[in-house]
Amino acid sequence: MSITAPQRTYDTELPIRDDLRAAHGEIAARWSRPGTWWTGEQRAEIVRQVRAARDHRTDDGGTLPPWVQPSSIDGLVDADGPLRAAAVDAVWRITNHPGTLTEDWYQSIIDRGVDPLAYVELVGLVAQSNCVDRFADALELPRIELNEPADGPPGREGAPAAVKYHRVPTADIKMPNVIKALSAVPAENEALFILSDAQYVPMERVRGDVVSDRNSLTRPQIEVLAARTSKLNECFY
Amino acid sequence: MDVSYEAVNGSDAGDGGVPHGALLARLAEAMWEGDREATAAARAAVVDAASADVMVDAVAVSANFHMMTRVADGTGTPLDPGTYDMSAPVREACDLNGFVSRRDPQGDRQTAQGASS
Repeated sequence: MSITAPQRTYDTELPIRDDLRAAHGEIAARWSRPGTWWTGEQRAEIVRQVRAARDHRTDDGGTLPPWVQPSSIDGLVDADGPLRAAAVDAVWRITNHPGTLTEDWYQSIIDRGVDPLAYVELVGLVAQSNCVDRFADALELPRIELNEPADGPPGREGAPAAVKYHRVPTADIKMPNVIKALSAVPAENEALFILSDAQYVPMERVRGDVVSDRNSLTRPQIEVLAARTSKLNECFY
Repeated sequence: MDVSYEAVNGSDAGDGGVPHGALLARLAEAMWEGDREATAAARAAVVDAASADVMVDAVAVSANFHMMTRVADGTGTPLDPGTYDMSAPVREACDLNGFVSRRDPQGDRQTAQGASS
């Protein structure tokens, strides 16, 4: 993989490692470029919708509950925007209630016209922006600004894929299931690797090396943070 | 080092044998809650107890798992074959078995779906 696109990230004296800044800059630059199944405009809108989902507050100060689709609320979602309502609803649900997603819910999104492979790319983008933005928010830094969307059609160069063990199509590769999850859209799997390499442990070492420290943290400290965050998100995996 | 799952279950449950484990868990909790004041307090506590480098790296790890959980649950990722029995003590200690997102290892679903869809 290559990290090539310098993009302005964080103006701060906090000790943010250069590789972490570079990873966030690269990923943010990709958000506004044509992807595999979505245009640059649509990809940027997916990130905007993640931000809208996280920032929206109901009258009681909470986030929209999982059973309420944002597209069903007058004025909350731009009906003339670049994304169909089902995609916007998926972005909000995955962002705010990832532990509630079921097979029936997924199928309802597909039945409303979201292509399964485009859904995989959407999941990748939603996951990345939750990662990058939550990092900035936690440090009280401005979120990385989106570039103007680049013109051009999606590449439509996914990997041969089929539904096998996951809910979504995956490529036929031998990897842990979570690393296989986005494999039908290799560019999003690469993005996952870029962020995880900078923020966690290089993917190839996740299972093979469970003792080495990483940057300023010991491996047990890393795993406490990983496990506590995963449990808060009600993630069984 | 003897490590337990206490800090995974909550910052008020102890360090679990991990240096600053409870503080790091508290930082993860504040990030998840999106509580600005609590996050600032947790950040300051980690800096005081460890360092600014540890605090920034800890925020990065937690943020990474806001990504990984959405990848896993957005795609319906099941446990890996061979990990079900191995992870049973962790699932029990951390009270994970009742999660809606639970997906045990599966056989081949064989639901043919080409990439042309």
